[in-house]
Amino acid sequence: MSQELYEALREAIEEGDDVRAAEVARELVKDPATLQGAVDTAIESIRLVGDRFGEGEIFLPEMMLAAEAMQAFMKIVEPELEKIAGQAKAFGTVVLGTVKGDIHTIGKDITATMLSASGFEVRNMGVDVAPMDMIEAAERDGAQIIGLSALMTTSMPYQKEVIDLLKELNARDDYWVIVGGGPLTPEYAEGIGADGWARNAAGAVRLCERLLSSKGRPSTSEFISEER
Amino acid sequence: MAIDRERVLDVLDRAHSGPVYKERDFNLKVIPQALRKQIKKYDLANTCDRDNPINTDDELADRYFRAGLEAAAEIGLLCRDTHRAIRFSVQELEEALKLAPQEFWLGEGDQRVCYKHRDPEDPTLPVWTVPLSIAVTEDVFVPLVEGLARIPEVDALEGPSLETVWGRPLRSGSPYELLAGRYQADLMREGIRRAGRVGMPMDAVGSSTTHYGVLGGYGVPGGYRPKHDLVLILSIADFWTSYESLFKLAHTSLCGGEHISASSWVMLGGYPGGPEGTAIACVAYTVLMVAAFQGSRTGVPPFDIKYMGNCGRRAQWALSVSNQAVSRNTKIVVHSINNQVAGPNTKMLLYETLVGMTNMAVSGVSNVVGTRSAGGRRTNHLSPLEHKFGGEVYKAAAGLTRAQANEIINQFIPKYEEQLKEQPDGQSFQECYDIERLEPTPEWRRKYEEVKEEAIQAGLPLK
Repeated sequence: MSQELYEALREAIEEGDDVRAAEVARELVKDPATLQGAVDTAIESIRLVGDRFGEGEIFLPEMMLAAEAMQAFMKIVEPELEKIAGQAKAFGTVVLGTVKGDIHTIGKDITATMLSASGFEVRNMGVDVAPMDMIEAAERDGAQIIGLSALMTTSMPYQKEVIDLLKELNARDDYWVIVGGGPLTPEYAEGIGADGWARNAAGAVRLCERLLSSKGRPSTSEFISEER
Repeated sequence: MAIDRERVLDVLDRAHSGPVYKERDFNLKVIPQALRKQIKKYDLANTCDRDNPINTDDELADRYFRAGLEAAAEIGLLCRDTHRAIRFSVQELEEALKLAPQEFWLGEGDQRVCYKHRDPEDPTLPVWTVPLSIAVTEDVFVPLVEGLARIPEVDALEGPSLETVWGRPLRSGSPYELLAGRYQADLMREGIRRAGRVGMPMDAVGSSTTHYGVLGGYGVPGGYRPKHDLVLILSIADFWTSYESLFKLAHTSLCGGEHISASSWVMLGGYPGGPEGTAIACVAYTVLMVAAFQGSRTGVPPFDIKYMGNCGRRAQWALSVSNQAVSRNTKIVVHSINNQVAGPNTKMLLYETLVGMTNMAVSGVSNVVGTRSAGGRRTNHLSPLEHKFGGEVYKAAAGLTRAQANEIINQFIPKYEEQLKEQPDGQSFQECYDIERLEPTPEWRRKYEEVKEEAIQAGLPLK
């Protein structure tokens, strides 16, 4: 029975059917023993969708809808996992936005989707976000990571400004700061004092996973570059 | 003819009264559904021909035009500040296309340039504007502009873009950007003067993507000239616009400006989907930019989301069929962009340039702006030589048939298509040029000469 449900869940996610994903989730929570397998299936499915997007086999709407199906499933399953294991969240919270003066949205939205689908709690702040607004949102949401996207050379200075503000507020060690965007290089990212840089959304997920599994602190840890 | 204030007010009214959409619904429902509907209605599924990236089927191009026109009316432009869609009926869009100029002049004196409508395979020489707004440091800005303006094939200037203003980081949306508007005009004019080409037309303002650069640099004393220069209105992909663009429109109108470059880009693999949906979206977005922003020079090229360029087969195909669709079915001055990923002092950059410029020359594009050296990723990574080559190819290919052009580009795409994701940065201007003499290094010149010879052997009538 559980294998059939896992298969139905896989189909629902890969086809981006959030209604079906929620239905399957409601069936699965009736038997708590199936839940861990279901979560593993869901993660495997969404990663497959991400890979297919990366290869150009499917397009952005399909990936976004798959992520929404994943979220619909997790919304129902998470409270049950909490009851069983006393914890549901394997990962942390990321506050993500495109910096001030920049209204490019697609790359940041893909990253938000991939992070969310991979189990992170994501607060997508949108575009043209002032440095202090990013910091205040991170504080309010108890985030561990601040993600800053910039697609123009004229908006890149605001990424550094967030890091400088954190230092001046004596809050640099409170958050990992990651940066990305077309004109950025890892050398630039390291130079402005970011904790990590990723070339694309899949890399951003790996970067966040590595940062949160790290035992270090932002001010003393080595810079991480996710090239793939 | 100056920008029509009544039309400015009309588009502002539509931005404040059109239907409201949440971002998610517009991106995931409105755009894909409208494009899928047109693909079905006009039987466009699987029409992308990767083996022949330049479309040779006029009837197919015409179907793409009808599909794009109808999709434009259904989708509209979503204003991110009001969350309302600026919509026009098909009839209104057709009327706006008829009002757009078939030709216009920019620049002064012996540097005046005629921007004129071209058809596919048209022998009329196109206009070559250089470079794209790639960031450079202040110390090399003027020498680079001088080197670019010295190139005979170059007709007009757009970039480069300043990384700093008087040593301060150029922050988007800040007063620095306002100052940069006028500052860039001064520096551009100095480079043009040194090259002996006073009066060349310029596009305002490459260093500033927000409206502040235009407010600070266009129509102000000593700044960009409303009668002789273009204002750049570049909306954000896909089918989005904003107050930033509307501010530029209003300011151009106030200054008595006559010509706007209204453009954007469409992400292939993004919300419009594959090459067919992308090509329809390019047509639709172009038509909308003419209607909303009174573009004299208008175009929307694709960017492939897989490698953030458009020199691969499916992007080249979408580029060709969408440009042909617009140039065959309207009389507007079509503008487009070649998005390379390789940097200066690489043969790959020249191969990408050869393919893209040949394609656009035979697909009815009147004015290309380029080169996107190193994908625009690296500060100072552009040089005059790839721009010379781009102009030579663009003008030599004008008048070729599309079949001839396909034969040529099919010899060069295999030379780089596997490297599109690797994206070699090449070298900076300082590394591949003698900046004092404005001469390329022997190595860079040798690569240029070798690729030029290969192009001639392949059938491109380069001099």
